Amino acid sequence: MLISIALANAFRGVRQARTTSLLAVLTIAVVLVLVGSATLLVENMVGILEEFGQELQLTAYLDDSLTDADLAPLAERVAAAPGVERVEVVTKDRALERFERIAGGAELLVGLEENPLPASLEIFLLPEARNAEAMEILRESLDGLPGIDDLALGQEWIEGYARAVSLVRGGAFGIAIVLGMAALLIVANTIRLAFYARRDELDILSLVGASRTFVRVPFLLEGLLQGFLGGLLALAIVYGAYELLLPQMRLGLELVVGRAELRFFTNSESLRLVASGAGLGLLGSITALVGWRGES
Amino acid sequence: MSATGEPPVRMYHVSKSYMAGQYALHDVSLEVRRGEFVFLTGASGAGKTTLLELIFAAEQPSEGQILVLGRNVARLGAGAVPALRRRVGVVFQDFKLLDDRTVEENVRLALDVVGTPRREARARVFQLLKSVGLQHRRFHHPKSLSGGEQQRVALARALVNEPEILLADEPTGNLDPELKIEIMDLIVSAATRGTTVIVATHDQSLIERYGKRMLRLEAGRIAEDNPAAGAGTGQGANR
Repeated sequence: MLISIALANAFRGVRQARTTSLLAVLTIAVVLVLVGSATLLVENMVGILEEFGQELQLTAYLDDSLTDADLAPLAERVAAAPGVERVEVVTKDRALERFERIAGGAELLVGLEENPLPASLEIFLLPEARNAEAMEILRESLDGLPGIDDLALGQEWIEGYARAVSLVRGGAFGIAIVLGMAALLIVANTIRLAFYARRDELDILSLVGASRTFVRVPFLLEGLLQGFLGGLLALAIVYGAYELLLPQMRLGLELVVGRAELRFFTNSESLRLVASGAGLGLLGSITALVGWRGES
Repeated sequence: MSATGEPPVRMYHVSKSYMAGQYALHDVSLEVRRGEFVFLTGASGAGKTTLLELIFAAEQPSEGQILVLGRNVARLGAGAVPALRRRVGVVFQDFKLLDDRTVEENVRLALDVVGTPRREARARVFQLLKSVGLQHRRFHHPKSLSGGEQQRVALARALVNEPEILLADEPTGNLDPELKIEIMDLIVSAATRGTTVIVATHDQSLIERYGKRMLRLEAGRIAEDNPAAGAGTGQGANR
């Protein structure tokens, strides 16, 4: 009975105080649009970096004495080393083909009696091994393997990549903290205004003997509902903006980084955005109620 | 429930001070018996409202003890206040009705807070509204009612829980003379049903008309406690 009254009072509160409720919903929506857009941006940046990461590779140049038949067993041994995702074998002939393709023809090699390019193994790394420490461990485990002539680590690239990923993630975390705090303050103050606008009602309830729970629960539910609606609105706005800007963003990315794999939130991420709106609304209501003691 | 015979309101040397050295009430001791009707009078600022606020635990005394329905208000925790208020009905000069709710919903508030089933609550509200002559306005909103009708709604809300004490702070202050009598008659009739009633008013004509006990406050102190003030010549005086 009391639950149904609390729910009815919460819906009534939103319906009756339309302006203040709308203000609270819009505030939460604006804040979550900022948070959502920033998160989406960071997620996509990390995504692009991870795509780069997939192409980060080491090259093990092989001894010329190895025959093609020796390559597969050696590749298997290398693939078993720590941090290795997969290994691709580049035979001498394939290396030559590549060179010809890149150099624009076979003219440069005219006059050479035999193929001077060595066979090699292209070693692709697991995401967690794309850092300097893991590279060192890998180098040690490959060192001294018979048949490997030279190891091109590309360490600077790897370290630069690791720094970029950690910078983006750290920045995202910082932005999330700042935006989250700002969101909570703004939402709490908006809901506090709504609370003051309806203080008479809460005081009258208190006068007729309503318990603190009876007075507070509908107000908290109201904050939850406003936050939920704000979250839904924010999701719709971020989605609309994403769809609207996607062609331009794709074009820009293709020009700058040569790829344009962008994505929107997954279902669970979308749910999290809406749920954080509801959470913000609830927290805002709790903060607004702090210090209220009823009719005095 | 207070024991039969035990006065529902007792004050012992109660003082209330909002600023050091300045008393809204000073050393007030009094008892109000069960079913008794008391007028509380005095000039503005004499302490009438403060005394009522102490009784329904909206304020705590600075000094002294107040026993209301057997509970010591001075030691009442915040969690125990709602339970006390469910046994005390309060009516104010400005009605304190919620404009976004109908008359019926306003009166039902007092029943909703104690979890009275909806069907039973509606029946009780109808009976109460009938007793104050407003059953036909139950789906109207307070703004569409006259001042007298709004005060009758507030009175119905205060009485719907059958309180043991009814407090009224200048309940006729905003009303025309004929409406004053109408409201006061309804309040007096509550006392005849066993409810202890304390009405704060500075309207001397009402006090004289009903001939009930009168407590006069002056600068926060009880200056006069007259067991049967006035001539009691009016309609309500014989009730």
